[in-house]
Amino acid sequence: MMRNRAVEIAVGCLFVGLLVWPALTNAYLTSVGFTLMMWIALTQSWTILSGMTGYLSLGHVAFYGLGAYIVALGWGSLPIWLSLAAGGAASALVALIVGFPSLRVRGPYFVMLTLGLSELAKYSAVNIESSAGQTGRLLFGAPSLITLYYAMLALALIAFVLAYCVRRSKYGLGLLSIREDEEGAQTLGVPTVRYKLAAFAVSAVIPGIVGGLVVMRTGYFEPLPQFDPLISLTIVAMAMIGGNDDAPGPLLGAIFFAILSELLWAQFPQLYMILVGAILVVMVTVAPDGLAGRMRAWSQRRRAPEGG
Amino acid sequence: VEILQSGQFYAAALLTGALYALVATGLNLVYGTMRLLNVAHGELVMVGAYIAYSLFIGLGVGPLWSLFVGTAFTAGLGALLYLGLFQRVLRTGSDAGRLDANSLIVFFGISIILQNVAALAFSASPRSYAYFDQILSFADVSITAGRLIALVVALTSVVAVVLFFRFSTLGLAVRALIQSRDAASIVGMDVHRIYLFSVCLGFGLAGLAGVLVSMYESTQPFMGLPITITAFVVIIMGGLGNLTGGLVSGLVFGVLETFGVAVVGPSLRSVLVYGVFVVILLVRPQGLFGGRSVVK
Repeated sequence: MMRNRAVEIAVGCLFVGLLVWPALTNAYLTSVGFTLMMWIALTQSWTILSGMTGYLSLGHVAFYGLGAYIVALGWGSLPIWLSLAAGGAASALVALIVGFPSLRVRGPYFVMLTLGLSELAKYSAVNIESSAGQTGRLLFGAPSLITLYYAMLALALIAFVLAYCVRRSKYGLGLLSIREDEEGAQTLGVPTVRYKLAAFAVSAVIPGIVGGLVVMRTGYFEPLPQFDPLISLTIVAMAMIGGNDDAPGPLLGAIFFAILSELLWAQFPQLYMILVGAILVVMVTVAPDGLAGRMRAWSQRRRAPEGG
Repeated sequence: VEILQSGQFYAAALLTGALYALVATGLNLVYGTMRLLNVAHGELVMVGAYIAYSLFIGLGVGPLWSLFVGTAFTAGLGALLYLGLFQRVLRTGSDAGRLDANSLIVFFGISIILQNVAALAFSASPRSYAYFDQILSFADVSITAGRLIALVVALTSVVAVVLFFRFSTLGLAVRALIQSRDAASIVGMDVHRIYLFSVCLGFGLAGLAGVLVSMYESTQPFMGLPITITAFVVIIMGGLGNLTGGLVSGLVFGVLETFGVAVVGPSLRSVLVYGVFVVILLVRPQGLFGGRSVVK
């Protein structure tokens, strides 16, 4: 109970800090905050499906790319809020359609299937764009960084609250029971198929909108970078390094990597990536349950002598 | 479809297929024995290719020697990683999902380390060397010497791997371990020794494939991911952990891909590859040759 309260206060402080961040800093640091919140939103929404049900999605970039694509296609003809919402809705719809057959396979099959689906989406977009004679779409007159910043902040907050509440609801317990023992859960009356599908759809909506916001920030749409499978892998790495079990874990992972990348990436891109790789390898061996699990173990060990 | 009558087509299809079979067998060995998802497999191919390139450019050593050096180097890398790292990772798998995730992260880490070390050492621009570039002609087939050698070596290796797993005691032991780890250790097999062997052979085959690819294509630090994905497509088609299935589906997939590209054009290649993959996983996730059902 104490621990929960402390975590809630820390996360509350973080979001208040992000709220006043642009007023305290310059445009460059504001865009750093934008990127950080992007990763928070992506990892939190990933957790709802993959952290809780154990179905590891390596294809979340497909929703991110789809959202970006829809905003780029509707640029100049649709109101921005409408294409953003359309990106989210289309992502949920795709998740429902694809999820129905694909959530039947577990483990490595699901991992590779989602990776395959996102690659299929990427190359389909590449081919559609090249047959339409497009080499890339410029988005002129995008909203200012501040507007996008607060939109992303709202998304990150929604994603966090959603993951946090789902984890503590009866529905969340159902999802966890699917991860622990799917047949058992089904026998006890958990509607596993419906639960998994809903989790997939919910966890797809936010990446769909995030993609739309990011493409407005870069002002340019091109299928290859927007559907880059590295984005999916980064989401998995951040969430798992933080500890995928609950909302605060992936939050921790996202902050950790976003700060690290800011400190090193611009000066030493290759060294930064080598360091990230080394951290991933070391983390799995030192803290196989993630940063959050490690901290839990520490705090329990520190409390143990007092209590006993 | 007159393309099916040209020898050129069969040579290209066989080469692609044999390389896929080699790469996929390596991936299958590591997954089949230890249940580790090696997303860095394509990077091992890249390492093999850079070894051939740097030995040739730096020391003037011909790629035929590099076949041995590249294979030994990646196999040794596999042994080091198994002893220093994979053994620990295997112990973190409290449940299968956690092991899948942890192995994904570890190999993702390894792959970005290898990519960026290569980018630092060789820069991001494509590297190639000219060695076997004379063109040979037999009947209606014209082929560069590099491709021909790659084809012969790849096919020989595929046959050797098949024979090894059919007839040698060690090969049988690996297959038995893939079938049932518990039963294998009950009858007294040294499971860790077989793990170590599988990692070395799997990594070594990837390095070998890399040297072969370098004989006719240029090498880049970030060439690995598409190779990894293709290899996963192949082993899932053949059934995860099914070594013979993986070899056959590698060959089939190479032929299908070459044929498909000839018909629909290279720009749709990837759509074709991933489309086939997704359809197979949705319809027959146990693979084309698998009997065991993985669908609930």
